[in-house]
Amino acid sequence: MSHETHKYAFFLGCIAPNRYPGIEASAIRTGKNLGIELVPLKGASCCPAPGAFGSIDLNVWYAMAARNLILAEQMNMDIALICNGCYKSIWEVNHKLKHNDELRDSVNEVLKEVDMEFKGTTNVYHLAELYYNDDVCGLDKIRDSVNTPLAGVKVACHYGCHLLKPAKDREFAGGAIGDSEHPMWFEELVDALGAEAVEYRNKMECCGAGGGVRGYDIAHALDITNEKLTNMAAVGADAIVDTCPFCQLQFDRGQFEIGQKFGVEWNIPVLHYCEMLGLAQGMTPNELGLDLHQISCNPFLDKLKGGQ
Amino acid sequence: MVYTGKNAASSPAVEEPRIGVFICHCGTNIAGSIDVPAVKEYAETIPHVVVAQNYAYMCSTPGQNMIKEAIEEHHLTGIVVAACTPRLHEQTFRTATANGGLNQFRFEMANIRDQGSWVHMHDWDGGTDKAKDAVRIAVAKAAKLEDLYPMAVPVEHRALVVGAGIGGIQASMDLAAAGIETYLIEKEPTIGGRMSQLDKTFPTLDCSQCILSPKMAEAGRTPNIKLYTLAEVENVEGYIGNFDVTIRRHARGVLTPTEAAAKGIVGGGCTGCGDCSTVCPVVKPNSWEFGMAPRKAIYIQHAQVVPLIYTIDFDACVKCGLCITACGTKKAIDLEMEDELFTIKVGTVIIATGYETFPIEQKKEWGYKLYDNVITSLEFERLICASGPTIGHLVRPSDGETPKSVGFVLCAGSRDNTGVGKPYCSRFCCMYSLKHAHQIIEKIPGCKAYIFYMDIRSFGKAYEEFYYRIQHEGAKFIRGRVAMIQELPNKNLLVIAEDTLLGMPVEIEVDLVVLAAAIQPTAETEVVRRHFGVSCSIDKWLLEAHPKLNPCGTTTAGVYLAGVCQGPKDIPDTVAQAEGAASAASIPIHAGQVELEPYYAQCMQDICAGCGMCVNQCPYSALAMTIVDGRTVMEVTAAKCKGCGTCGGFCPGGAIKMQHFTSPQILAQIDAFFLGGEQ
Repeated sequence: MSHETHKYAFFLGCIAPNRYPGIEASAIRTGKNLGIELVPLKGASCCPAPGAFGSIDLNVWYAMAARNLILAEQMNMDIALICNGCYKSIWEVNHKLKHNDELRDSVNEVLKEVDMEFKGTTNVYHLAELYYNDDVCGLDKIRDSVNTPLAGVKVACHYGCHLLKPAKDREFAGGAIGDSEHPMWFEELVDALGAEAVEYRNKMECCGAGGGVRGYDIAHALDITNEKLTNMAAVGADAIVDTCPFCQLQFDRGQFEIGQKFGVEWNIPVLHYCEMLGLAQGMTPNELGLDLHQISCNPFLDKLKGGQ
Repeated sequence: MVYTGKNAASSPAVEEPRIGVFICHCGTNIAGSIDVPAVKEYAETIPHVVVAQNYAYMCSTPGQNMIKEAIEEHHLTGIVVAACTPRLHEQTFRTATANGGLNQFRFEMANIRDQGSWVHMHDWDGGTDKAKDAVRIAVAKAAKLEDLYPMAVPVEHRALVVGAGIGGIQASMDLAAAGIETYLIEKEPTIGGRMSQLDKTFPTLDCSQCILSPKMAEAGRTPNIKLYTLAEVENVEGYIGNFDVTIRRHARGVLTPTEAAAKGIVGGGCTGCGDCSTVCPVVKPNSWEFGMAPRKAIYIQHAQVVPLIYTIDFDACVKCGLCITACGTKKAIDLEMEDELFTIKVGTVIIATGYETFPIEQKKEWGYKLYDNVITSLEFERLICASGPTIGHLVRPSDGETPKSVGFVLCAGSRDNTGVGKPYCSRFCCMYSLKHAHQIIEKIPGCKAYIFYMDIRSFGKAYEEFYYRIQHEGAKFIRGRVAMIQELPNKNLLVIAEDTLLGMPVEIEVDLVVLAAAIQPTAETEVVRRHFGVSCSIDKWLLEAHPKLNPCGTTTAGVYLAGVCQGPKDIPDTVAQAEGAASAASIPIHAGQVELEPYYAQCMQDICAGCGMCVNQCPYSALAMTIVDGRTVMEVTAAKCKGCGTCGGFCPGGAIKMQHFTSPQILAQIDAFFLGGEQ
């Protein structure tokens, strides 16, 4: 177990600060309790969104992501982030530019206009990946940091797509995180908080939002979301936990929209792992801004109180 | 072997070189990308060149005659042909050189096609310049070539076959029938290989064991076949005609009647009665049944093993001795038996080491080893086979129930470019999956067969008709690779795929899924390959000498390939290749001798200082120190030397001459390249 403090440039992304400020707050506070210091990445822009930008103009996607990476390079720090979509953009562009000289030169040609140059000196991590990594944090350290165990609740883990897939382009090297078909590390992270992570059918299915589907064809997106919610409800999940604010938006806002469009009421609270970890470390619902969630988190919170 | 060669270790008599250069167009293969007339004009300016000609096809009879006539007309001392590659036509042009009256080794080839026009197809000037360089370098060497004479070595009248599946068995039987004593070695306790694990064969639906076991029995009793099971290749030395192969016979723990007799035990040795197995208290999974049936620590894999001799699994045996008591006066059991090493001398070798299945659990989306009711095709073969663990009643592993619907996933890990799996087609999976569909439809009334396929490759004789037959028996065909398999709470499986004919996703619930897993070379194939110096292709299958014109041979003279170790193939193709390999392997043996290239090292003993440092450098133990006229000098055993050049490059006194690759020849080539012909 590591006792030193690890510093990372904290890439916020867009959805967390704009829609779920509790994710940002809990990431910073829970990180501090675990020896991970998240330093603001000043001047960062949108990652930019891989579906919206990447599908339309890759060169814009490369250049904007590279600019964010350069900001971290200038701080001499690796990047930590809290969103699977951001992970796809920032990690993947970093990887591509490091391994493709021609692409790097063409991106640097663009960035010359703002006096910037991509050097390839930073690495990109998802915060969940750092939490799971024994060299940085690890399950034991998380367990030790818990002062309010989340006992008596069933939690359905949603891994999301962009963190693990496409598997052949990722570099987890087949470890516990690298399994993109039957991973269990997220369940381990949830179990470490005292909650019961439940297995459910087709858990690696998309939330429905990604790749621009939510923006382009909301009915289709909600259909996928509804299928996931059906499978989660079938095993009695008291809450959904995710590692991605966009997935969270889809499950949270999406349940409201499903109610409107399909007339189905699920009312399953949706939390980011950082928020859940914050609860387990004693942060109050108010500090976590849980009242800003579309679907009320109260049934989940009540069940927790009942369990204690 | 005593060899008295004509190849002299001294320097050749000085003569004024007169070189002829012949440049091939190879139709447009060369002339389409290289300015052949310009190369010819350039060649005429190179020192020592007295004649240069170009022609459409130098390998044709008129082309060869040009060489012959030029030698006679211009009194040439060396020939350069700038054309394709020595692999294709070196012998053609050597013969033409000899027909003109020159020693055949006075010939040098410049490769301006495979390494010239083909790689510089879109660079006319660059390709032409490179061809000029290649010709100039070849001329420099040709000017220093010497007369050489091939060496003939006798061929041992025995052969070795490694691996006793159907390929190895067939090859051994053919060799034995041709009067050649043949060693057949197999790493398992019994011969038979994969074919013996199959229930039926396509498209005839023969019982696999019924057609195989007569051959197994014959291989076991043919006097000309020396059969060793539980045996592997330990070491190989030598060369075509004279391989010294060391075999490791793993300790079986049980004596054969012959071995018992040799030990003076009258009427002793294993008779296969099985009394030992009955009393053995240790139970282990039978790997031959893929762990689906038990066996004892002293066991036979199945009822039809050849030889019928029990085997002790020493990793499991507790040495309680109950088997010894049960065996009684036959005294067949020796719990202290150890591995035995022995060396055999053979003239030629056939490798027939077969295949194993790709570890399909690596394709995690299909859940093999994660979901109870996902099995592989070989497991299906055992479950549907009357001699298998369920006496032929197909059951699903989770609850022993008879399945009412079965999904077959074809190309499971084959034709797969994701990085997990194999890019090639495993070739027989389509056909055996059709057979499996037929078997369940026939055996289980009302059972549905869903075949998820990419293409059905029914390539062989009567195969397409078989495909048609299975379609009409009611199997459902869904064209599309299976994306994912989910296990439902009742242990049924939901197979999710895209039907690319309907253009829509499909989800089908089945009781059992059978994965037609890709195949790969066995782990032992790599070991055997390295012992014999045989190459492999990028997918690790053993490399044939030529994919079309020499599919049984390898680039190692005297070593041949049979069956799947060379690439995926079904039983008829394996048997055909085995017969081809046996024929090829018998040729040098029946010829009685083979000619070896005279590219071996020679010690110039008058300048050898006798330091002996070269002896340990030689990877082939071809060098030794000897005393000549009171001086200690080195001597080369030519037949052992492979001409690798290690000693020649190493010798501090420059006393070792590599024939056909002498220092003056190589230096002349280097000078010709760097000095651009200005020597």
